[in-house]
Amino acid sequence: MKLLEVKNVYKNFPGKKVLNGIDIDIETGGISSIFGYSGEGKSTLLKIICGIIKQDSGEVILNEKNINGLEPYERRTALVMDEPLLFPHMNVLENIAFGLKLNLNKKRYINSNNNDGKMLNSPKEIMELLGITGLEKRYPGEISMGQAQRVSLARALIVNPEIILMDEPFSNLDIISKTKVRKLIKDVNRELKISILLVTHDIEDVVNLSDKMFILNNGKIQDSGHPKEVLKKPSSIDTAFLLGTENILNGIILEMDRHNNTIKIKVKDRKGDNEAGVVIEADFQENFETGEHVFLAVRPEEVIILREDRDVTKPVRENRFSGKIISSIFTSRMMEVSIKLERDPELKVLIPFHAYEVMNLAEGKTVNISLKKSSVHLIKKKKNVKGQVSVF
Amino acid sequence: MVLNKNRIFDLLVYTVSFLFFTALILLLSGIFFQTSLNLFLKELKDAKLWNSIFLSFKISFIVILINLALGIPIAYILSFKKSKISFLLDLISTMPLTTSPLVIGFAVLITMGPLNPVGKFLIGRGIKFVFTPQGIVLVQLIISFPFFVNIVKTSFDSINRKMLDLSKTLGASSFDILLKVILPLSSNGIIAGLAMSWSRSIGEYAATQMVSGVIPKITETAPIEVFVKTSYGNYPAAITIAGILMLLSLFSLGIFKYFNYKIKTNN
Repeated sequence: MKLLEVKNVYKNFPGKKVLNGIDIDIETGGISSIFGYSGEGKSTLLKIICGIIKQDSGEVILNEKNINGLEPYERRTALVMDEPLLFPHMNVLENIAFGLKLNLNKKRYINSNNNDGKMLNSPKEIMELLGITGLEKRYPGEISMGQAQRVSLARALIVNPEIILMDEPFSNLDIISKTKVRKLIKDVNRELKISILLVTHDIEDVVNLSDKMFILNNGKIQDSGHPKEVLKKPSSIDTAFLLGTENILNGIILEMDRHNNTIKIKVKDRKGDNEAGVVIEADFQENFETGEHVFLAVRPEEVIILREDRDVTKPVRENRFSGKIISSIFTSRMMEVSIKLERDPELKVLIPFHAYEVMNLAEGKTVNISLKKSSVHLIKKKKNVKGQVSVF
Repeated sequence: MVLNKNRIFDLLVYTVSFLFFTALILLLSGIFFQTSLNLFLKELKDAKLWNSIFLSFKISFIVILINLALGIPIAYILSFKKSKISFLLDLISTMPLTTSPLVIGFAVLITMGPLNPVGKFLIGRGIKFVFTPQGIVLVQLIISFPFFVNIVKTSFDSINRKMLDLSKTLGASSFDILLKVILPLSSNGIIAGLAMSWSRSIGEYAATQMVSGVIPKITETAPIEVFVKTSYGNYPAAITIAGILMLLSLFSLGIFKYFNYKIKTNN
């Protein structure tokens, strides 16, 4: 069942178009996320959903009920923001219990008791779930940022909203608290079966937490689906850029072979010369035709560097090339290696440290690489796509 | 000790401040040197003195109650409902702060007089503001409420708007937010505002004088009594009331400063 639907929402601020016809739909019980750069109107969209800002046009539907005309306090959409925003004059327990003491929620509680469903959770249960038991008497100034953010989450959970909206909930946390809070959000979603809509500019949050993602770019939802699918198979070059897909090649389709599940693409070299480039094979993909100019996207972690001392197994026989390592950089988690193929182009490859060491890789060394057919994703070229020219 | 530029600077600011404070204290406390303790205590037994002081207390107490009832909604509008006319509202409500109190008293005297349609209308229904205690309440209200509204507004302004937005989504209506979040968070500002407007009201002379008519026991407030006693040449009595007024204002200013300081350290 659809829990939340946003239909054709427009919002302009003086001198600035922010939302340009947004459509979103979210199922009950999951974690969804809206991904986009800062300033793309993600927070504005959340504020429209919970009623703090009114949209210029369009509809917000929660549980099949149009909530356009409702005040924020009538909507049952609780907000958690990037700062904890705890009430400074209340201790932790009073902060969490804030929602319980409001008349509206008391009424809801009584109504739900007449039926059967559990409406409100007890502060004790929620504090236990979030691992903040023992902080009851402390004041907001006396607890850490990570704890405060959990108290803020507890304060939203206690009123048992139909959906929790989170606006960059991790952006002010250090990396350890971030990992903890991420796990907590997963637990909360599972234990309390509460639906969550998350807004973030960090693709890690999206991949880690959500089962559905929306990409917000230029005021529109540009792509949506399961994060792994969207990440692997971006539907447009814009999405690929937004998601940081680094290996984007320009090519022309030579041959479409549905029977053998193969498409052959000739890749242009850096100068755009069609003749010079290598030929890459990909799995068969619908809606393309021979002679069509396309983009190829390969995620850097899917490029395999072949070990010299091992026999070649079947999958790594596909798309074998040899190239020279022109640079290798330490990043926080992986080695980022740039390999220049003999006949162009250049590919970025991510491999773990130990693999880099075991294989004795170094700048200047010539290696064999392989691209699995299934990892080569074709993207249609559109006219007037931003950034198209700058690819090569 | 070497006199470098910084030392000279310190020396200058300290000297100027010290001279100023000494002069001010001498000026203000001068009245206490003009009288003796015996004379002071003797004057304290005068019933007329206490009548005027009690009247001042009564009127200023009513004034701050009305301030509380009117000032919080006005400060709320000025702080939370900012719009294109906010500047105008702010200007009008702050105007009495800079207008001469005498002019305000004069305006009320004219408006509430029998020749003005408003005054005529009210007098015709038995509501009189000229030469009555309610007239004094009215002018003191006009003069003291900008102090209250401004202090409370500043205190409202310092509340995090994102926090208020967030509490709306937890099920809190505007009433809930005012009662459970805004007012508790600005209690210091409200107390400071009350202290300031009370002390403005109890010491008010010029505007009060315009509408009071100086009727003993009914409209003769303490500051007016000081003037009346002085004009009769009864200096010991005038000094006694003036002294009491000065101590009162020191006391209420202390309250204001204390809570104003707390607002600043809280945020």
